[in-house]
Amino acid sequence: MAEESFLSDEFVSQLTAVGEVDIVVGLPTFNNRDTVQRVVNAILVGLVKYYPRQRSVLINPDAGSKDGTTEAVQAASIPDFRAVLAASPLRTMHVVSARYSGVQGESEALRMVFAAADLLGAKACALISPDLESITPEWIDALVQPALKDGFDFVGPVYQRRRFDGLLVKNLLHPLIRAAYGYQIEEPVGREVALSGRLASYFLGDQSHREDFPGLGAFEWMTTAAMAGGYRVCQAFLGPRVTVSRRSALDLNTTITDVAGSLFRCLELHQSYWIARQKCEQVPTFGFQPVLDLDPVRIDRKRMFQMFSSGVDQLRAVLEQILSPGTLEAIIAVAKLEERQFRFPDDLWAKTVCEFAASYHHSVINRDHLLQALTPLYRGRVSSFILENGRAGSDDVERKLESLRQEYERLKPYLIENWNRNVR
Amino acid sequence: MRTTSSSPNIASESAVPGADPLWYKDAVIYELHARAFHDSNGDGIGDFPGLVQKLDYVQELGVTTIWLLPFYPSPLRDDGYDISDYTAINPAYGTLENFRELLEQAHRRNLRVITELVINHTSDQHPWFQEARSSRDNPRRDWYVWSDTDDRYRGVRIIFKDTELSNWAWDPISKAYYWHRFFSHQPDLNFDNPAVIDEIWKVMQFWADMGVDGFRVDAVPYLVEREGTSCENLPETHEVVKVLRRRLNEKYPMIFLLAEANQWPADVRHYFGDGDEFQMAFHFPLMPRMFMAVKLEDRKPIMDILQQTPDIPETCQWGIFLRNHDELTLEMVSDEERDYMYDMYAFDAGARLNLGIRRRLAPLMDGDRRRLELMNGMLMSLPGSPVLYYGDEIGMGDNIFLGDRNGVRTPMQWSGGWNAGFSAADPERLYLPLLSNPVYGYQTVNVEAQRRTDHSLLSWMRKLIQVRKSSRAFSRGGIEFLQPRNHRVFAYIRTLGTDRVLVVNNLSRSAQPVELDLRAFEGYIPVEMFGGNPFPRIGRLPYLLTLAPYGFYWFRMRRL
Amino acid sequence: MRELVISNLRGALTAVTGILAEAVPRVLAMIIIIVAGWVIAWIAEFILRRLLLLARFNRLFESKGVTRALSVAALPSPSEMISRIVFWCIWVAFILVGINALGVVALQREVSDFVYLLPQFIVALLIIFFGFLAANFFSRAALLAAVNANSPSPRLVSGFVRFLILLLAVTMALERVGLGRGVVLVAFAVAFGAIMMGLAIAFGLGGRHVARRILERRFAAGGERKEEKDEEASHL
Repeated sequence: MAEESFLSDEFVSQLTAVGEVDIVVGLPTFNNRDTVQRVVNAILVGLVKYYPRQRSVLINPDAGSKDGTTEAVQAASIPDFRAVLAASPLRTMHVVSARYSGVQGESEALRMVFAAADLLGAKACALISPDLESITPEWIDALVQPALKDGFDFVGPVYQRRRFDGLLVKNLLHPLIRAAYGYQIEEPVGREVALSGRLASYFLGDQSHREDFPGLGAFEWMTTAAMAGGYRVCQAFLGPRVTVSRRSALDLNTTITDVAGSLFRCLELHQSYWIARQKCEQVPTFGFQPVLDLDPVRIDRKRMFQMFSSGVDQLRAVLEQILSPGTLEAIIAVAKLEERQFRFPDDLWAKTVCEFAASYHHSVINRDHLLQALTPLYRGRVSSFILENGRAGSDDVERKLESLRQEYERLKPYLIENWNRNVR
Repeated sequence: MRTTSSSPNIASESAVPGADPLWYKDAVIYELHARAFHDSNGDGIGDFPGLVQKLDYVQELGVTTIWLLPFYPSPLRDDGYDISDYTAINPAYGTLENFRELLEQAHRRNLRVITELVINHTSDQHPWFQEARSSRDNPRRDWYVWSDTDDRYRGVRIIFKDTELSNWAWDPISKAYYWHRFFSHQPDLNFDNPAVIDEIWKVMQFWADMGVDGFRVDAVPYLVEREGTSCENLPETHEVVKVLRRRLNEKYPMIFLLAEANQWPADVRHYFGDGDEFQMAFHFPLMPRMFMAVKLEDRKPIMDILQQTPDIPETCQWGIFLRNHDELTLEMVSDEERDYMYDMYAFDAGARLNLGIRRRLAPLMDGDRRRLELMNGMLMSLPGSPVLYYGDEIGMGDNIFLGDRNGVRTPMQWSGGWNAGFSAADPERLYLPLLSNPVYGYQTVNVEAQRRTDHSLLSWMRKLIQVRKSSRAFSRGGIEFLQPRNHRVFAYIRTLGTDRVLVVNNLSRSAQPVELDLRAFEGYIPVEMFGGNPFPRIGRLPYLLTLAPYGFYWFRMRRL
Repeated sequence: MRELVISNLRGALTAVTGILAEAVPRVLAMIIIIVAGWVIAWIAEFILRRLLLLARFNRLFESKGVTRALSVAALPSPSEMISRIVFWCIWVAFILVGINALGVVALQREVSDFVYLLPQFIVALLIIFFGFLAANFFSRAALLAAVNANSPSPRLVSGFVRFLILLLAVTMALERVGLGRGVVLVAFAVAFGAIMMGLAIAFGLGGRHVARRILERRFAAGGERKEEKDEEASHL
């Protein structure tokens, strides 16, 4: 019996009607009626303004919205582009909405977008979030141009961040990926990315680990798989990323479980690549990045510290199974410091992360529990980071982050050694 | 196999049969210049007797009307549009007697003849201008538009921007400026002067009395000027037209007026008035969009312009065309669209002229037979009376190096022999050199060779025109657009009473599937009009068709 | 009289000899069966252990944390445990067959009772084993959740969860082997109910302000967990 396709007849029929295209823009949605119209308008204006001669299609996989999101997407046409631009579209603009089972999560939506890109022979495929408030038509150009015209396979975003924004990315994801994979990619879980047609086809074919990377993990997987697969990687400056997101409702614990867990799984998947990788290279960055010192995000540092020190105390027995005795002792020692003297040094933090990664690989305890045990330690690191850099300018903060990244790089042999050893 | 041509059916009566005053709605018009068609006296220039010799060919082609480009006496600095005598024939093309003979022979073959009425301006060699400039007191002074300064009518656009710097020219004789919207040697007539209108009417009567069936009025929008306006499409211009039309209707009800007004459809609409101005007007903006649609492989440009096209009075008709004696004008498109057209069709800057492209149809289509068929198929099936430019029926090429728009006005290619069968003169004497390159040269592209085969472009064009004439839904029917999801397919239904024709065009270079919503025609049987084969009956489900690259279908919808 | 005594003695001797003649072969048979069973069981254990090691059987359990849990409980690895279980199963079976071979009716009845009870006993052991694993797992999960939610006394919560699960497991195991079935069940029900009631009272009465705040935060529109929200929104 023939295997059942994950593409519905209606979706395939719509794609057939669209025919061959140059650009696919994927916009997965679920109950985003409030924001999606503006996002769709920005995409359409961007396509007309920057790619008026290219054939393009907006693919909107929807997980079963009940608030009229797909209707809003279809209705979000611009009656007169001349009010916005000095041009009218040369070509018919296509917007294809299709329902998918939300049970499988966002990776299913991405799979549909990749399938569309593959079937329609797209040269470039961009992915956009439906809850963006800060998107402009220029984002389309920034993402698509390197893939469409400059021969890059993966285009990651660079956002304009407020100070202390994205600390998990800056303290864990970015430096660990940089040290392991050897690419200085700013936003490894960037949700606005672009792929070349051939990379989209590759991702479509390699869906064997789909279920291992829920939510944002899918984007981490794409980023690391592109690097490990030898594809040409670059990044493009987009601007500030402001969303109306339900993700903010996800607590830190779940976030760390998702993204750190996905990252460790990526390390497992690509171990033959990153263990052998020696060098670390800059990633070409397109776009003009203004130097703006934006107001810092407000974080309750004291509460962070309190949760860290009580967490270390309460989870000692668990941490003993994950960390080496020396590292654990050092953590216990810093947890005992006064809050104002508290410092979670770069080397200790980097070592902690490396040991967590290795322990995750060896499944010393249940993996979910292992990731949850990382949360209080991360809180400690955040508290220390804010205390150290509270009054520092953006240049100083950048220097400190650079030294953290170099610490990770220095510890790569340590990571490899722990990764390859037998279980204690 | 040689295709034998049927002998012309010369009617016993010389008058054109039928008294239908709306005959122009069913017309298939063939535009040609007597100079370019056939030379009878071996001087290297085509003439009316030569044209008469080729009327059988024109009749066999299937067209119903000949549109003659200006043949009046002229210094020929604008290919005859600079007229120096309105009621005579340029001696190079023949005499008035020759012209009368042409009319008679054409009418015998059921062919009508329309001529040019270039009334916006004359040549500066015209006696009227010579008199007008001789002194400020001359009675004809006021027949033209004069000014002591070139400040008047500021901001009015220059049409021939590649050659002219101003709409005013200095006359050294009468020491004043005169107004010209075209070349500086073509001063504009002053239609605020009733004497000018009366004189023009006399000219019209002259040719109408001779038997001409219609007038194509050149450069209509620019007849009247007013300060503080664009000097185009002014209400006063419409008044002039109404006057001429009224007089024409009273005396010559079968003669029709065709407007050349290169404007947006909404602006051209005014030239139909309430059925009391022009009976026909060219739909300029449609033409470049047909070319754009085929390159983009997207029906959007055509759909947009046709949906913007307003309804016109019942007695009126659009004139639609692909190419003509001028450049492929890109005035009525946006900057983005113009850039696209230049990049796609005129990458060689030598092909560009005056916001247009000076190439013929076949080179624009890269000599692609399928695209030529598709474009002609749309020309013959969209609403309006189609105008075919001489030579396009055999796929003639062009020569952009001949200067101005001469590259598309080269001699007709009749055969592969001496001077392409156009003239017995020495080749150096021809009014313009023949095309001789291996792709489009007369040895390869000519009537004689194409007559011999059933599958030639010429044979196909004959068949196309014949099929078009088999249904009045094309010429007089309404249009309803279908909008299948496949944007590469342009489909519509032409309806006149119970006569319904479904037209489906594939604008893409690759084969395409399309599902058409034909529920309104459930139970009908589509009969393909070229082969006569019935297709599956239409049901409730979307009607699936597959089309070859650049393929099209015409289906007559039969209910049995 | 002497002949009677001698005859009786001879008769008794003959009877004893007869019994012995009957019993000794049976005992010998029993011993042979038991020894043979040991040998077979040992061979089976040896082969199985090597096969499981070759097939890296233990890896299957590593990711679930079973290996770790067993070592914490000072238990051998899964492959070792299974090999040992197989050894004992085979040998015990041979022992039972051997005992049966003795032909002592009373013993045969005990053997059959034992055989009947054995599966229940094994199930009970399994229940306790898995209960132990579950207790470890869930108590750790509770500990981590409580720590990350900044709840008071995470260790107390974790211990409580462990206690409850173990209690449940032991009760189920005892119930399986039929030991004081009714009493154990009732005792468990009472204990469990009392604990739940106590918690409800403690929380509802003593902690009613806390309860109200928690409910308000859950159901109020916006503003709840504001600090958490500020904190969470910036990490990615």
